[in-house]
Amino acid sequence: MSSIIQVENLTKRYGGKRGIDQVSFEVAEGEVFGFLGPNGAGKTTTIRLLMALLHADSGSARIAGLDCWDKTIEIKRLIGYVPGEPSLDRNLTGGQILEYFANLRGGVDRAYLKKLIERMDLDTSRKFRQYSTGNKRKVVLIQAFMHRPRVLILDEPTSGLDPLNQQEFDSMVKEARDEGRTVFLSSHVLSEVEKTCTRVGIIREGRLVKLGGIHELMDIKRYEITIAFAKPVPADAFAKLEGVVEVEPLSNGSAVRIAIQGAADAVIKEAAQYPVVSLTSYEPSLEDIFLRYYERDDTAPIPSGPAGHLTMNGEEAARV
Amino acid sequence: MFRSIYLKSLRDYRVPILGWGLGLGALMAVIFAAVPTVFATPAAKAAVVSIGASYAWIAEPIKIDTPGGYATWKYGITILVVVIWPLLAGTGMLRGEEDRGSMDVLLSLPRGRVRVALEKLAAMWTALLAMGLVIGLLTFAGAAKVSSDLSLGASVAFGLNLALICAVFLSIALLVSQFTQERRSASGVTAGILLVAIVVDMVHRVVPNTVWLSQLSPVYYYNLSKPLVPGYGANLGAMLFLLALSGLFSAAGVWLFARRDVGGVSLHLPERSSQPARALPRADWSLRSVYTRSLGMIATSTLWWTLAIAGLAAWFVIIAKQTEAQLKSLLQGSAALGDFLKLGGSDSATNASILSAFFIFMPVLLMAFAVTQANRWSADEEDGLLEIVLSTPQPRLRLLLGRFAAIGTATIFISVLTLIATTVASIATGLSLDYGNLAAASLSIIPFGLLVAAIGYLFAGWLRAAVDTGLLSFLLVIWVFISFIGPGLSLPDATQKLSPFYYYGSPLLHGVQVADLLVIVAVGAVALAVASARFARKDISA
Repeated sequence: MSSIIQVENLTKRYGGKRGIDQVSFEVAEGEVFGFLGPNGAGKTTTIRLLMALLHADSGSARIAGLDCWDKTIEIKRLIGYVPGEPSLDRNLTGGQILEYFANLRGGVDRAYLKKLIERMDLDTSRKFRQYSTGNKRKVVLIQAFMHRPRVLILDEPTSGLDPLNQQEFDSMVKEARDEGRTVFLSSHVLSEVEKTCTRVGIIREGRLVKLGGIHELMDIKRYEITIAFAKPVPADAFAKLEGVVEVEPLSNGSAVRIAIQGAADAVIKEAAQYPVVSLTSYEPSLEDIFLRYYERDDTAPIPSGPAGHLTMNGEEAARV
Repeated sequence: MFRSIYLKSLRDYRVPILGWGLGLGALMAVIFAAVPTVFATPAAKAAVVSIGASYAWIAEPIKIDTPGGYATWKYGITILVVVIWPLLAGTGMLRGEEDRGSMDVLLSLPRGRVRVALEKLAAMWTALLAMGLVIGLLTFAGAAKVSSDLSLGASVAFGLNLALICAVFLSIALLVSQFTQERRSASGVTAGILLVAIVVDMVHRVVPNTVWLSQLSPVYYYNLSKPLVPGYGANLGAMLFLLALSGLFSAAGVWLFARRDVGGVSLHLPERSSQPARALPRADWSLRSVYTRSLGMIATSTLWWTLAIAGLAAWFVIIAKQTEAQLKSLLQGSAALGDFLKLGGSDSATNASILSAFFIFMPVLLMAFAVTQANRWSADEEDGLLEIVLSTPQPRLRLLLGRFAAIGTATIFISVLTLIATTVASIATGLSLDYGNLAAASLSIIPFGLLVAAIGYLFAGWLRAAVDTGLLSFLLVIWVFISFIGPGLSLPDATQKLSPFYYYGSPLLHGVQVADLLVIVAVGAVALAVASARFARKDISA
């Protein structure tokens, strides 16, 4: 599939302060791309550069082959956007806001718009200032989806939504993906990304530190296995095995907690030599992976270059 | 500084205290510094006395041949600028916090609403006192340099009097903000009240036997104290009255705040429907484009301003007719009235010349309206309101020009309504006027409003909303000073040409001076072009 979003060496500074530095990535048409990072990492800056709300200091950002700054109007015909901190006219009703943005987009399919309003269970007669945080978010989400955009750029879109509406949002994203539309979704809620995204990029302190498929990220997981034995066993026997990162003896040596990087085959075979009472394996969540990336200070940025052939830290392969 | 709401609020005001205090104090010091030059010769001093009498309608000249009297008189019109920060702070104090959502957090603390409001109010009053003190000290420092016999006590009393009038408008702003859903609406209404108060105070200095009317304005009581004028001093009763007035308005504001919903208003209009609805408004004209939406946004404030400006113009017509005979006789023996009429471009007290002198306020008022609209543009960007609009296929230029065109439409509406109101008033009172010239006088104020809006948009390219508004207001005051007092001070022609009012002329007497208006149009066009170029390239605030 061809790339619909191409970002190359994109750099933005706010005076002397960091924005983003040499960020490069591509998003294929039809995929749901998760853009992860903690607060202040540079997610919103990247998105606002894509939306031509900010002017890049260097580098380039293209959507559908068009330069985000020079061809911003053409690009915005293709885009639906949810800002991180949406602000709308407080004195208009939800219905008026949607009508206004529909007009600014040259008209939308009203039947589809009404369907979205019903799906999100939005009362369009209330003024924006009277809405709860979640209902404000619904208005913004509907305006982003209502013209069936080819690309959806969503900056922390579900913040403030209740679980039911989050579910509805997930299905709207899946429908968009099934229709071949692209979703660029920034978040720090990993379960959301895990559920909806096919690929993710992780940004930290303005630099992209990881880019890969969602399953690929899971592959670099660090299992934790706790094995209880009928009698004490030598913990050292596990420490030397391939993939074992850490061994912790428990219960006076009759149990061990083992952290494993990669395949668990060697550990299972070694454990089988002793009388095993129980074995518990903990699957790492994306949360764990995510936290791991952030607690490491030596995480180097992904070098610029063609996506798909990127190496990270000289040992972990990140693939597009 | 984070130990209490009082200290935290005081911390928030530290920049305005210093900025406003130092700026306005420095202005007074500069006025004093100019005294030796202004009073260089007995003839020059006599000229100042004469000028003071001529411009008594702006500020009452008491012992103007003394440094203190001269400084008091010259500082008179700056009240408009002095009060801007307290006015904005007053609307922001509670309503601004509610707009930002921070009031919810504040009220989650184990403190009652009244205490929260009172702590904030106390911080505001402390800030005003500090500001007044800074102004007073700088006034004393400025006066000392010209060997004035002005005492420190008098200087501090001058600053205190300023702080009191600021406190009154701060309290009015606080009270008004209890009835508006948004801070900006409260600021607009209070700014309108301020302008009306200033004009109402002026009335008794121009129209005889109208002291009763001026006494309705708090500015009248502020002007009763002139601590810098030797032998005149502060009017303790007036100062106490201002204090009481401030206390009364503040108490009312806090009382209402304690009893209403947070984020709500004190007077509820009936809601149309409480049933959830899914409908979309199809026939709403104001939602069709950026321009129509911009027009819808400013419609209410435009109506209020139209009422004020057109109403004032019609009132001028009525006054001109009612006082016609009286003014003619006064003109025989009053140089002051003669000079006032000269502002309108005439030496004789004809109906048109009297009205022409009054009409010089029209562009000033329209420009004040434009200041509020320019403020709205920069505030909208600051509040993130442009972000989603700019995610639609609307060019930035269209957004800026759409907003500007809406202001243009509003200024045309105000001018046309002013023309209609004055025409009706002249017909009703039987005041004979050249209606062609009346149309020229009413409609030629349009470019002046647009000029200020364009400059406001230009400033907004670089400055935050509060600074933009402050600078624009300051510019307006400087222009008023140059045009209304400059001729008396024999300011060079080149300096007087720096003020837009120079180019307004006297259309009520002499019709439209096309070349002069073209200057305003050209400067406005350049400002708008630069503002557009800047907006097309700038980073939009998050």
